[in-house]
Amino acid sequence: MSNHENGPMSEKSKKQSTPMTLVQVREQLKGVKGKRYWKSVDELADTAEFQAAVEREFPHAAQEWVDPVSRRGFMKLMGASLALAGLAGCTKQPDEPIYAYVKQPEDLILGKPMYFATAHPFVTGAVPLLVKSDQFRPIKIDGNPEHPYNQGSSDPFTQGTLLDLYDPDRSQHVTYRGENREWAEFAQELRLKVAGTKDGTGIYFLSSTITSPTLARQWKAVQAAYPKATLVQYDPAIAGTSVANGTSVQYSLADADVIVSLDADFLSGASYPGFHKLVGDYAARRKDPEKLNRLYAIESTPTTTGLKAEHRLGLRASEIPAFAAELAKAVGANGAEGTGYNWTDEQKKFLAALAKDLKAHAGKSAVIPGLYQDPSVEVLALAINTALGNVSKTVLVPHEPAIPLPSDQIADFKALVADMNAGKVDWLVILNANPIYSAPADLEFAAAFDKAKMVAHLGSHLDETGQISHWHIPAAHYLESWSDARAYDGTVSIVQPLIDPLYGGRTAHHVFQTLLNEPMVSPYDAVRETWKSTIKGDFETGWRKALHQGWVDGTAFDKAAKASVDAGFKGAVPAPSPKDALEIIFRPDPNVYDGRWSNVGWLQELPKPVTSLSWDNAALVSGATLTKLNLEEDDIVELSVNGRSPRRVKAPVIVVPGHPDNSVTVHLGYGREFAGRVGSGAGFNAYLIRTTDAPFYATGSIKKLDGKWGLAVTKSHFQDHRPKLFGGQGNGNNSLEADEAIGERGIIRYATLDEFKANPGFANEGETHPKTDRDNTLFPNWEYKDNAWGMSIDMNSCTGCNACIVSCYAENNIAVVGKQQVRIGRNMQWLRIDTYFEGDLSAPRAHFQPMACQHCENAPCEQVCPVGATVHTPEGLNMMAYNRCVGTRYCSNNCPYKVRRFNFLLYSDYETESLKLLRNPDVSVRSRGVMEKCSYCVQRISAAKIEADKDNRAIQDGEIVTACQQACPASAITFGNINDKQSRVAKLQADGRSYQVLADLNTRPRTKYVAAVLNLNDELAEAPVEHLPAKG
Amino acid sequence: MAQIFDRSSNALARASLVLTGLIVIALGVTLDQLQRSPWVTRQGQRPDQPVPFSHKHHVQGLGLQCQYCHVTVEKSSYAGIPPTKTCINCHAQIWTNAQLLEPVRSSWATGESLAWTKVHDLPDFVYFSHEIHVNKGLGCASCHGRVDQMPLMYAENTLQMEWCLNCHRNPAKNLRPTGEIYNMAWEKPAEDRPVWCAAGDGKTGVPTAQSVSCTTKDPSGAGAEVASLELPLGGAHGQAGDVAAAALPVAPVYKRFTSQDELGHFLLDHYKIRTPQELTSCEVCHR
Repeated sequence: MSNHENGPMSEKSKKQSTPMTLVQVREQLKGVKGKRYWKSVDELADTAEFQAAVEREFPHAAQEWVDPVSRRGFMKLMGASLALAGLAGCTKQPDEPIYAYVKQPEDLILGKPMYFATAHPFVTGAVPLLVKSDQFRPIKIDGNPEHPYNQGSSDPFTQGTLLDLYDPDRSQHVTYRGENREWAEFAQELRLKVAGTKDGTGIYFLSSTITSPTLARQWKAVQAAYPKATLVQYDPAIAGTSVANGTSVQYSLADADVIVSLDADFLSGASYPGFHKLVGDYAARRKDPEKLNRLYAIESTPTTTGLKAEHRLGLRASEIPAFAAELAKAVGANGAEGTGYNWTDEQKKFLAALAKDLKAHAGKSAVIPGLYQDPSVEVLALAINTALGNVSKTVLVPHEPAIPLPSDQIADFKALVADMNAGKVDWLVILNANPIYSAPADLEFAAAFDKAKMVAHLGSHLDETGQISHWHIPAAHYLESWSDARAYDGTVSIVQPLIDPLYGGRTAHHVFQTLLNEPMVSPYDAVRETWKSTIKGDFETGWRKALHQGWVDGTAFDKAAKASVDAGFKGAVPAPSPKDALEIIFRPDPNVYDGRWSNVGWLQELPKPVTSLSWDNAALVSGATLTKLNLEEDDIVELSVNGRSPRRVKAPVIVVPGHPDNSVTVHLGYGREFAGRVGSGAGFNAYLIRTTDAPFYATGSIKKLDGKWGLAVTKSHFQDHRPKLFGGQGNGNNSLEADEAIGERGIIRYATLDEFKANPGFANEGETHPKTDRDNTLFPNWEYKDNAWGMSIDMNSCTGCNACIVSCYAENNIAVVGKQQVRIGRNMQWLRIDTYFEGDLSAPRAHFQPMACQHCENAPCEQVCPVGATVHTPEGLNMMAYNRCVGTRYCSNNCPYKVRRFNFLLYSDYETESLKLLRNPDVSVRSRGVMEKCSYCVQRISAAKIEADKDNRAIQDGEIVTACQQACPASAITFGNINDKQSRVAKLQADGRSYQVLADLNTRPRTKYVAAVLNLNDELAEAPVEHLPAKG
Repeated sequence: MAQIFDRSSNALARASLVLTGLIVIALGVTLDQLQRSPWVTRQGQRPDQPVPFSHKHHVQGLGLQCQYCHVTVEKSSYAGIPPTKTCINCHAQIWTNAQLLEPVRSSWATGESLAWTKVHDLPDFVYFSHEIHVNKGLGCASCHGRVDQMPLMYAENTLQMEWCLNCHRNPAKNLRPTGEIYNMAWEKPAEDRPVWCAAGDGKTGVPTAQSVSCTTKDPSGAGAEVASLELPLGGAHGQAGDVAAAALPVAPVYKRFTSQDELGHFLLDHYKIRTPQELTSCEVCHR
């Protein structure tokens, strides 16, 4: 707070009319004591631009016309509408037809959804699902609550696959050289061709990683019939990782007191195998301060895992293998040797403290290696775990790989390209892959592609590869087809279809079966055949049980695992690149992964964890590197990777607090040309600088180009502004985050374990504002007698993974608005995750706070609505009557939490046929000019109330689950009746750590947050040293 | 300078002011009436249907129960429109060659749906649930009118918000025993038409539809016609569990009602109807 006391704000703002340099930022930070939070770097620096931004309610030009409509044109267009405005209420509804069934399915009750178990066959392990189906249309995907692996949780990717199913840009026809054909014609041609080769010479299959045991069995049958046919699996996001090689080790964090991540991002999304279980186990230990675990993260790019960690060390990617070797040596792992690398004092101290802590928790710790690291890190991590006696306790080494056909994907792909160039490839059948877009740049795949005599492409979209293939076959979505897949724990789930293929899609099962003796065997029969021997007892009974519960009994990996692991480390770790070399790190995107979900609007618009960037990828750098390169955020740079022929790509640059210096992170999956109406043209294609010899990180260079990119970053949105009533300068320019996040307002409250033990009520003490009085209101108080809905959000568990937001999109028919609208602050997510950084710019801690409507008992929005469109219900919901709203936006203006969203334009798509199938029929689709916001999933409350009222009973605790709560892998969100003192939410809200945000405004919010408690290691507990800008 | 306007202009000006006022008021009243008129609400209108289906013939004439066709009325928000199959169940045997039924036969033969025109059409932002109304003692006829006397279907009521609120503000005036839900001819109790009702033991978990048993014949006399929505009294208690079954021998205490107001408030209590405050909250119908 001290910097604000230095002088009047206006003077400072004038002084800083030009953007600040990082040196100045540092100056500002110096001497700042206490816990100071900032959301964006601008805010930290308190720049004039930032101050200008907080003065507006909606950022940038949100209040202005963006379309070039002249005043004259506007009057012409609106004249007629204005004249008729008074009559708008007197609309006569058109006649609506009812199309009755001819024969109604027996078990269908129109208006009641049905639920079916299936699984999302993702490459890092299947996600078992329970899908809600309304009139046989899948409308909501959630985790299977009874499945031992994910227990009902899901992740952003899995939630996003629902929109992928209904994507209007999916390909709809089998084509041959652009002409519509039939599947049978293709099948016949392929079958004859392959049969003609006798042994399969010249027949190549290029597939994304095969996850289905049945598909693997079918391939083996093809291989037996045609031994010379070749299968190459290539997935750009996992090629070269332990997932593809089938060597992945499993972790069980329930008993781990100390967890170390060696560049493993296991808390932010399903990109890391076992995400759902790892987060679940991690978060379960965060709920009770008596049982806290401690997380250390050593990472090369800031992720939610690192920012969630008690202690985080940012290292460049190439330094991590050496660090792992040092750590292995320090804990006495077999065969580990030091590297003699020149570590800084801080790094040495971190290493020593970490090694000591690990040794103190031998057998109760886990060291988790990153996927996108040198293979030595994985071996070293296993060696460390073995030395600590963690194996078969917290670390399990399964007998068999989680994917059925592990392979060296990079080597196989290289060999394929060599064969293509040599003219050996007669037929190339591409199965669910897009190599033209994603192949490593050094292989020149596009050139080799032309040398294949015939290429067939099975894919969901007519993508970059589909465009130039001879044959294109529309692929069926997993919700349209039969298959099978294995989860992280080895459990097999049957993938059962929820809907007939919308566009007659086919699967890889069809392609392989075409070549076998019985080409007409359907995927359904093939899957049943696979599990005939596994399902015990009567097969039909067992099969129906497997479909019903969502998994096949007895297929989980043996927990006893391998008794002894030969975990000695042999060989050497690669030396870190020189300290002044610029490293470029490649990671799959947290939203669109390797590009497969580019056309999913929900995922594109979702602000990415840590950066809050939507609709783009960017070159992520540290503040020091930005200064050193003399760049500003949003500048366009040219990235190039060293190599025989240097490759370049243009990218926007953005600062991420905590990024290691001299290092750039780029996310794959953007820069698509033929993704569809949503994804084409967003971001830049990082595959263009990714090569086979350096798939995870490479050295390269960065060069400033002219111009600005125009990124859409949401974190600077929704800064609050209001005259500061309680102390302060009173100039009206105080931002919610910087001044109030800690200090007096305490938006974020946390304590270390020691502080908590000394003062368990820390979260509610030390507030300088007088406690608000229930009677201190102009409005009569309402007694909540029966139900009183409330929510509790555990700040210690939330990892900021975004699953809740995508779940909310699906449940509440939320519109996607597009990049330009996001840039001017009109994104419509009802729920956002505020990321508050704290402390040092280069080694910050972060706090993730899910923020949605707080359902204030004394709601400021309701008091200013002139038409009574936002009102309170007798159970304490703050609700919107959309058809009353006239769009004054007073409510949003008066909302201290900035959680109301306004339909400035007609964002909802009323036209596209396939999207009509997607909508939740229990929630209104909002039109233009209407305010909307989180409703606590009122449609689910109503449904539960009707059921309970019919049965003449009270609603039971846990009967109502909100969409965000359902998706959360950390179980951070709890919803229920706070009048029922036995309910989980009432107990949580009564906890001493529960606090309300901005409660001093007397809003009496119904959502309470449980303050975090950090289990710091005393030896590292002091604030990290001030980092100097990198030299050079 | 001579006067441009004659003295009479004053009167004219005043008259025109008054007239303008009257026109504005008349316009307002006209629009208000228009909004409530059958032209907008479709109240009482009989749209063209593919088959001129007569509820009167099927309900009054043949005695079909409502749920024979509207199967999900107790289970879901939609009452359900019968599939062609339901028509064919009978019309494969009778009136097999009737010209009127040609669209039904053609639908059955081709698998194409019959395209009915919606008679009771709520706006899309209204979420109405049949199941809760039917389970809480609101009869079909209360909203749909005497369907058994309608040769062609029409909307008896406007289905406008003021009409909904009319009842949500005071549900007692329309409540009836759940056993009489499908009784088109049910009339409110009166001195000469008393109703006897007995409440269950008030246990929670007994569906509201079974918590009250009512009869229109004096239960003290023999052969009382016991009415409840799903099962007669004994069956209802048997379903409620062993405890309830054990309590069965205790004869229920019947109370005599001679006015709708008394009966309504009795049912309001025992069906646990929510308060008008809760029933008129926006989120009940809009979300």
